[in-house]
Amino acid sequence: MSKKIERVQAGEKVFDWLLLLFSIGLLFEAYRIDGGLLANSAGSFPMGLALVMLAASAAILASHRYKRRDPRIRSAFHEFQVFLSEHFKIHIVVFTVVAVLYLAAINWASFYISTAVFLAAMFIYFRQGKVVSSLIITAAAIAVIYVLFTMVFRVYLP
Amino acid sequence: MSDTISYLLMAWLDPGLFGLTALGVLAGIYIGAIPGLSVTMAVSILISFTFSWDINNALALMVGIYVGGVYGGSRTAILLNIPGAPSAVTTAFDGYPLAQKGEAGRAIGLSTVMSVIGGMIGVAVLAGTAPHLADLALQFAPRDYFLIAIMGLLLVSTLSGKSLARGIFSVALGAAIGLVGMDMVTAQPRLTMGSMELLGGIHYVVVMIGLFGVAEAFYQLHNMAKVPVKQKVDKIVPPLSMVLKFLPLSIRTSVIGVVVGALPGTGGDIASLFAYDHAKRTVKNPEVPFGEGAYEGLVAPETANNAAVGGAYVPMLTLGMPGDAVTAVIIGALVIHGLNPGPMLMIETPHIFWFTVGNLVLANIFLLIFGLTGIKIFSKIVEVPKAIMIPLILVLCVVGTYSLNSNMTEVYWMLGFGILGYWLKVFGFQMGPIILGVILGPLLDESYRQAMSSVGDNSMAFLGGLFANPLSLVLSSVIILVLLGNTPLKGWILARFRRD
Repeated sequence: MSKKIERVQAGEKVFDWLLLLFSIGLLFEAYRIDGGLLANSAGSFPMGLALVMLAASAAILASHRYKRRDPRIRSAFHEFQVFLSEHFKIHIVVFTVVAVLYLAAINWASFYISTAVFLAAMFIYFRQGKVVSSLIITAAAIAVIYVLFTMVFRVYLP
Repeated sequence: MSDTISYLLMAWLDPGLFGLTALGVLAGIYIGAIPGLSVTMAVSILISFTFSWDINNALALMVGIYVGGVYGGSRTAILLNIPGAPSAVTTAFDGYPLAQKGEAGRAIGLSTVMSVIGGMIGVAVLAGTAPHLADLALQFAPRDYFLIAIMGLLLVSTLSGKSLARGIFSVALGAAIGLVGMDMVTAQPRLTMGSMELLGGIHYVVVMIGLFGVAEAFYQLHNMAKVPVKQKVDKIVPPLSMVLKFLPLSIRTSVIGVVVGALPGTGGDIASLFAYDHAKRTVKNPEVPFGEGAYEGLVAPETANNAAVGGAYVPMLTLGMPGDAVTAVIIGALVIHGLNPGPMLMIETPHIFWFTVGNLVLANIFLLIFGLTGIKIFSKIVEVPKAIMIPLILVLCVVGTYSLNSNMTEVYWMLGFGILGYWLKVFGFQMGPIILGVILGPLLDESYRQAMSSVGDNSMAFLGGLFANPLSLVLSSVIILVLLGNTPLKGWILARFRRD
């Protein structure tokens, strides 16, 4: 009986190492609470959790021994290129950057203005230039948000 | 008795509650059906809007969305081969082949009726067992709560996701997030990294919206261009003979659904997998083989995942432990409204329990009505392009998070959790265990410390107590079995038995 061998995704091993480092950082933070592994204290449960995370992340890393890298990936640099091409596609980067700008703009440009600009920009970009219909959808979405959240739910918005 | 009946019928007799339940079910069907939107996401966002509402109104809407959403996932699984929710993954195995044969309408009709049967059985079990379990739970020691929480977290980590280590990491990460802030006993800052802003902790709704809303929006960016295949839909209402034919199977799989749903930390997705497996093993000669359009393969998961809804409410209302990710969020809603989910809920606020039972029955009736109608409009609405849906999800997440405390910092945290959730999702970690960890972590910490204090901080006495009391012994044994079942030792023991 042949067992299917799992493939490691590009960047997976680096991510799993980061989890191990995060667990070590958390263990240090937990240790700082009351300086040691006491049976019953504010730090005892966080210490236990950090140790569990450390063991689990070590086990995740160890499991890579039973996995195989995609045969099309030739080197570490090539893996990095594949990782970039899979997760940093242009539309993902654009959405992320515009989302961050949108959140930053809410404070000084008000919620409704920044949301209208964000929605219009993303609709036009994702729908590849259907400007008029994108603006109509944006206006409809803003109207629904206003009626639903400001009038019905009475939510306070920035 | 008359009080109980009046609580049971509250949602039926109050026009506002009646309407909110109907609205919730209808919205839930669409939310559950649209890939990329999930019931957990919807309920998480809803908490922040409804915390100023009357608790009954908020619960009516959430119950409706929960019941509708669990069912809604099956529709896109049948019509488009895209499960709208994890609990509908197995529905697609036979549902989509049925649609390809031109039987989409019949498959949707049968799945609706079976979902309602499963849902009603789940509610009956909830009404019949929860009051007794709550009485029993009053005798539980903190040590028993500690063990139940451990068992729930272990079940989540073992039954969901592709590896035990990833599952355990997820629940521990969630629990660590839940502990951030000031310790309630000693007022010491915990895991705050010296930040004053984190002293108040991270609101679990912020984590939920980030992980289920923003992370999913980012994840959906990978499938922007996927175009669904359209199906012809007619003859929706199934004949009575067909329903009666599958009734015995549906009752069996409903029981599986309730039991699995009632285990803390599991839910409809795991219940439907177990039920599908049961149907495959017990139905010897289906008219069509499983995986090629067997109605049995549609009936089993659909009854089980809706029965699991009633099951999931049992530990939530009696022990204060979530049955699944949605009930984890609903626990948050109850706490925000000043209620105390757990055995005391039945004593202090029994109307909440009986109201929920009556509301679940009403929601299932609405499910039958909405499930058998409006399918043609439905197939148009679920085709909303991702280009429109994804930016709107982000806006909803911003509104939901900001409305909690009118705090933009929480919105930035929400985005941070969304980005973290995206990477975790990409590399095979599931979001459900993290959320359950966030909810169960502080409970675990509290019960552990109470249990330790009760034995004078004596570790040996604490460990001895885990095996001294009959209930603790059973719980400890289950935990050990679950742990051993996930190690190579299980294979070795089985091999020894076979050889002997």
